[in-house]
Amino acid sequence: MTARAGGGDPGSALLHARIAEYYTQKVQAFGCTPLGADWTCIATQEIRFVQLLKLCDFTAAFSIDDLGCGYGAMAHFLHRRHGACAIDYLGIDLSAAMIWRARQHCRGLAGVRFVKGSRSPRVADYAVASGIFNVRQDEPRDRWDAFIRITLQQLAASSRLGFAVNFVAPPANGQRIAPGLYTTPPEPWVAYCADQIGADAQVVEGYGMQEFSLLVRRRPVS
Amino acid sequence: MGMLIEPHEIYFGSFLERFNMRFGPAIPAGQSVWHAGGIAEIAALQKEFEIFRQGRSFLQSAALLGLTGEHGGPAKDRWLEYLTRLPGMRSDSDAMNGDQRIVQAIIENLKRDTPLPCFMRAYDGRTREPGLVVVAEDQPLFQLEGVPFLTISLPMRPAAPPRPRAARPRAPAKSPAPASSPAPARPRAPSRRKQS
Repeated sequence: MTARAGGGDPGSALLHARIAEYYTQKVQAFGCTPLGADWTCIATQEIRFVQLLKLCDFTAAFSIDDLGCGYGAMAHFLHRRHGACAIDYLGIDLSAAMIWRARQHCRGLAGVRFVKGSRSPRVADYAVASGIFNVRQDEPRDRWDAFIRITLQQLAASSRLGFAVNFVAPPANGQRIAPGLYTTPPEPWVAYCADQIGADAQVVEGYGMQEFSLLVRRRPVS
Repeated sequence: MGMLIEPHEIYFGSFLERFNMRFGPAIPAGQSVWHAGGIAEIAALQKEFEIFRQGRSFLQSAALLGLTGEHGGPAKDRWLEYLTRLPGMRSDSDAMNGDQRIVQAIIENLKRDTPLPCFMRAYDGRTREPGLVVVAEDQPLFQLEGVPFLTISLPMRPAAPPRPRAARPRAPAKSPAPASSPAPARPRAPSRRKQS
């Protein structure tokens, strides 16, 4: 999905601009469809939502931020699958074109708002981000790692109960991956969440895709 | 020069290829124990969303999986037209039409502990009148010797050659036109009638 995050330095601004441009081109080419957010189809897009939303307790009302919301596919998914739960949804995206499309696409959905930006302007119960770390284009890996670290910190700071993200797993032996695709094993990011964020990260995998999700829960304050 | 005929319009293989890629053999995912992609991905999607279900056409399920192609055009139109006609076709099971046969076979396959990859292909429907949709477990790919697939064979037949144009007396042709030109091999639902 569409991208975001980062700090306030000029390098981050340039990175954000490149990410926004990438996804703007996608949505302009394919519109409000999974391809418009760089996913293959509705089903694969939504099975990722299923994994990320395992973080949430749907028995009570909550607020959630969707960083890199694209055209608002998750908002529709939440209304369709969890319509009985009162959810205050805020979608955030770097691409102005995406946000414009999202507002059109989700017009009439209660409790749904969108804002252009690289980070959430509020603190919500949960935050999720689907696919925002996958396409690094030709960004050097160390800079992309830094981008991920900053983004995870921002997600942690803007969520009361926890946040969830996903990554592409490394290829099997001999398997080729597309140039510009970022892959990583889970261990470094589980350790980062534990050491630098003070949160417990649960790895969710085995849902048919070469990727995994991290469900990161805040530790109770003692 | 002109834009009346696009050479690629006669080809529909990319649509079959799209299905075969998505339903192909799964691969080990990274250093982990789970498998990903191909039929493993489809099986996970089926488990979560029941993409294929009785009462839902193959075309509808294919659309949910993005298998109908992102770009429009005559070839896509013909392919979609073909899929809409699957319910009107017969299959190698007397109890099911072509569409039901495909959907039911995929459902049953995805219920297995280890689903078979699936392979879709076209065949000359005239060789098996009246053009049956055939589903079988076999090994359709010689390069994957010993790997079983659930193979779905779709009957197709050549389009009828275009009728020769009536001569227009006041507009003599600059050059002799052929009596008929080769018909494009368009995907087309088979006729129920036997051909002589």
